[in-house]
Amino acid sequence: MSSEAGEIEQKYGIPVVAAAGSNVVSFGIGPNFTYNTGMPIRYVGVPFPFSGQPRSVLKAYIEGKDTVTGKPMMHAIVDGLTKPLTAGEKMAGTPPESVPEPRLLPADTEDNLQRLFKEKGWTDYNPVIIPTQERVAAMLKGTSHKPDEIVKSAAGTFGTRRPFTVEKVATLAVMAGAKPEYLPVILALASQVPYQDSTTSIAQMVVVNGPIRNEIGMNAGLGALGPNNDANSVIGRSMTLIHKVIQGYDEGVTGFASLSNPLRYDNLCFAENEEALPQGWQPLHVQAGHKPTDSMLTIFTGWNFINSTGWTEQHYAPQMLMRDYMSTLSGMGATLIMDPSVAELLDNVQGFATKEKLAEWLSQNVQKTAGSYWGNAIVSSMLGPLGAQGLEPYASWKKLPGDAVIKPFTNPKGIHAVVVGGKTASVWFATDFMPGPSVSIDAWR
Amino acid sequence: MDRRKMLALLGASPALIASAPSYAGTASAAAPKAPSPMTAGLITAVNPAVTPGLPKRVPLAPRLDTLDGKTIYLVDTDWGGMGQNSSILEEMQAWFAEHMPAVKTIIKVKKGNFVTDDPALWKEIADAKGDGVVLGVAG
Repeated sequence: MSSEAGEIEQKYGIPVVAAAGSNVVSFGIGPNFTYNTGMPIRYVGVPFPFSGQPRSVLKAYIEGKDTVTGKPMMHAIVDGLTKPLTAGEKMAGTPPESVPEPRLLPADTEDNLQRLFKEKGWTDYNPVIIPTQERVAAMLKGTSHKPDEIVKSAAGTFGTRRPFTVEKVATLAVMAGAKPEYLPVILALASQVPYQDSTTSIAQMVVVNGPIRNEIGMNAGLGALGPNNDANSVIGRSMTLIHKVIQGYDEGVTGFASLSNPLRYDNLCFAENEEALPQGWQPLHVQAGHKPTDSMLTIFTGWNFINSTGWTEQHYAPQMLMRDYMSTLSGMGATLIMDPSVAELLDNVQGFATKEKLAEWLSQNVQKTAGSYWGNAIVSSMLGPLGAQGLEPYASWKKLPGDAVIKPFTNPKGIHAVVVGGKTASVWFATDFMPGPSVSIDAWR
Repeated sequence: MDRRKMLALLGASPALIASAPSYAGTASAAAPKAPSPMTAGLITAVNPAVTPGLPKRVPLAPRLDTLDGKTIYLVDTDWGGMGQNSSILEEMQAWFAEHMPAVKTIIKVKKGNFVTDDPALWKEIADAKGDGVVLGVAG
């Protein structure tokens, strides 16, 4: 909202007061101004939560206090439109650059450095490997790229400028406990910042495909989603450190995830079990148009991770239970994570010769009520306004009674399948994780 | 001499040696120096922190002398998508009508959704000689 307010003020010379919930208003006033817009937009803060509140409560908010200034809300709005600009609000031009971070930290003891790294928010609050120059130099042997090469500049939340080098990524890789041969994967991960954040419990998932899986010993088989493999675990942890240190995610300052998500610890990092795919089922990166010999990673973003709980029963085909569980998802996208034994059953017994055939069936058969569909705030926020503006099918769905049944997965291409696991149980997860583009790992070797 | 104590005297951390034996050779091969009590056992780490860039500062538009006789647009960003914002803006409109009746208020709903821009609406407000905007509510 700061950028829209800035556009109105700068382009048309019209004064603006922006109103935001007290949960996020400090971001607009603070980091978003300092690092993103450069424009000190005048905000008022509305008590949170305001969604789901009856009209009487909203009226009380307007008659109550602005959470930013403590003044009566409407007086604060009038002041925001009329009170003369301060010297700071008139300031134009390039500010002094930030004080550059030194390449090395002052020498200190192991214990003090561990404490410093935690205090600075550079860890996941598990101990890290202290990145000595020797360790970082050894890590850099994992790539042909030069240490001072800029990986990306627009790395901060909302693309703010936080340029970082290959050496910074290698430093974080050391801290996470990585081996040098993992570095190309970690660099490919870092090249995709900023990762998506939200006040909701959004999370990421990382799927690796291609030859590098086996070259670095990633686990695509037994126990692949658990803490049972060095590469899966450490690469996933690296992503958490990249998010916090490079992207600059700081809970309560630049991010406001109310509950956050335990998947943030290792970002559900695993390799697809390409060797166990049924014939005709393509690996994820091949589906995206890449060669089987390309090493790629795909970052998914989502919220939900629903376990099939038990194995597949003969009297209820796996796609039927998948359909049932997927009815709780938003309908904006889904990824099924399944054991190879489930993929075999779907292929051999149920006749789904490709992942795409399964996706088509699910798109046609998952159902939920319109009330439940619009009850999801992500759906209502993103698609509700489009429906109000006439875009189908959302326009028609908005007019339906709450108990009317709809098929929310309108696009089968939004339903994905990834095969992983050790064939000790025919189990699976239904998730609403949606993939970003596949990213080359080979480019970072 | 105890190996850990010896390494500490040479300025290398025993912790480093414990996890990376190759450093022991490096440290042992170095010319012996008088140990400094300030550095003995200390570790020099590479700083993981990134230096953030700062954007150009942009001044705000001049404020209004008074709201009397002015037109203020109350723009619904449609956060939440289900009309919640309009309810808050209607309450603001009612407050202006009761307490500052000389102010004309117009409620507009932004097109797209809360993450998309609506430059056509900003132009419409400017073309209609809108004097001020209240934009909200984000949350």
